Amino acid sequence: MFEYIKLEMRRTLRDASFVVFGIGMPVLMYLLFTNIGGGGNGDDWKVQSMIGMAAYGALGAAMNAGTGVAADKAIGWLRQLRIAPLAPTRVVTGRAISGSVTVLPGILAVLLSGALINGVRLDAWQWIVLTLLLWIGALPFTMLGLGNGYRLSAQATGVVNVACLMGLAILGGLWFPVSAFPGWLRGIAEYTPTHRFADLGWATSQGHAPGLATVALMGAWLVAFGAYAVVSYRRSARTA
Amino acid sequence: MTTQSATAVHFGGVVKSYGAVRAVNGAELTIGRGETVALLGRNGAGKSTTISLLLGLNEPDAGEVRIFGRTPQRAVREGLVGAMLQDGQPIPRVTVRELVSFIGSMYPEPMPVAEALALAGLTEFADRRVDKLSGGQTQRVRFATALAGNPGLLLLDEPTAALDVEARRAFWESMRTYADRGNTVMFSTHYLEEADDNADRIVVIDRGRIVADGPGETIKRAAGGNLVSFDLAGTATEGLSLLPGVVAVEVHGDRARLRTDDSDATVLALVAMGAVRRLEVAPASLEDAFLSLTSHGPGATHGTGTTHQPLTAAPESETV
Repeated sequence: MFEYIKLEMRRTLRDASFVVFGIGMPVLMYLLFTNIGGGGNGDDWKVQSMIGMAAYGALGAAMNAGTGVAADKAIGWLRQLRIAPLAPTRVVTGRAISGSVTVLPGILAVLLSGALINGVRLDAWQWIVLTLLLWIGALPFTMLGLGNGYRLSAQATGVVNVACLMGLAILGGLWFPVSAFPGWLRGIAEYTPTHRFADLGWATSQGHAPGLATVALMGAWLVAFGAYAVVSYRRSARTA
Repeated sequence: MTTQSATAVHFGGVVKSYGAVRAVNGAELTIGRGETVALLGRNGAGKSTTISLLLGLNEPDAGEVRIFGRTPQRAVREGLVGAMLQDGQPIPRVTVRELVSFIGSMYPEPMPVAEALALAGLTEFADRRVDKLSGGQTQRVRFATALAGNPGLLLLDEPTAALDVEARRAFWESMRTYADRGNTVMFSTHYLEEADDNADRIVVIDRGRIVADGPGETIKRAAGGNLVSFDLAGTATEGLSLLPGVVAVEVHGDRARLRTDDSDATVLALVAMGAVRRLEVAPASLEDAFLSLTSHGPGATHGTGTTHQPLTAAPESETV
């Protein structure tokens, strides 16, 4: 499985569009939202937006794995894996891990531009924990992207992944603070995986550990999306 | 390979349908360890379906498939099978060496990467990206990935498609090298010659049924005789089907093709008629083999071959 992770990571990092959309876009949007929109109230918003955009970049990269998988299905690569001695659970797990690793550059790029360009100041431990939590927290979204990719055609996956990504990002308050939402929407936002995902980061920036509810909800989303990915792979195996 | 079973492949009454089409229809087939078998048939005869069933990519509707006494899924999981599929495209952003060593790494006793590359004739392309290769080179990459795991059973689905003459020759040489090590090889093709030259045994399938099974000689005999062709240049076509030995007549423009089970007698008769312009005598092609091996119409029996009824307008023959 390690060899599979290595191979898939190489393939992702050699993809120019991944570098542009997975790393460049979140940095650009972060800088635009914090400097041109004049949004929110100063430094707080810069920190909050930095975490939101790092989270958004992480999601984009995580779900990008799903788009890749759909393309792999179309060219027969999944078929090739199926006739090799690699169990389906290992294929999904390996792809999820390789997808996760490629999430890291996007997170680092936004955090760096926050520190260097927007002058965000946090303790050293906060930077490290922030990076790790955002990284690990992206795993459920990798699973969601993979589930879509195994299930749908390459084109449909692209559209559905972007829709999921934008929908969840906005609903979870990654683009605009949840406090700006009307009350009923705020209630829904609390349960979204994206909001909880960003909460991992917000809690860290405020100097405390993420709440039990956040950890539990993230775990639940991971299980749900993970099951979705495995079921989808089994299905794709039959039709691919 | 520690696989006790002396049988490499077993098909017992296998049926697989797609909608109303029976892609494989009651196939009975046993292949011993170490045999090299050609699966010969036209497009749509059921060759690829047979290979998918062997790989566990498809489940049979009825009957059972066994590889070294195991289910196909188990045999695949244990690394006993390697395959070259027909429809796969090269995966992007990976080099030939990376791909071949990755595939090999999943098998219990892989072939050294350098050896797999050399056998497939890829040594000089090892560091090229798989998606930057030509069609023929891509085909060799498929062969290398099939060999990489050093499997006891090698399945090749139309392995020489997209290869030029030189590459074909090299390919078959490598395939035989691999077979000579005691491995079982099964390949599909629609060329009788290719099957005859490279396999110990030929299994002919048509419309999902096995219509002939045996060494090349037997198949060719069943396929019936030779093909005599010549330019008509005004010669009337009516009497041709009555000439000695002639079994079927096809006319393509100005050229007549006579299938005959006694080419000497046919040629002598043509000479007597003075119809010897650009005369050619050739062994029956696959198309002709099928005319005799497969049904001439509904209700005909399979496998026994030559009906001596002239087929002036054989339904399967193409008219250009």
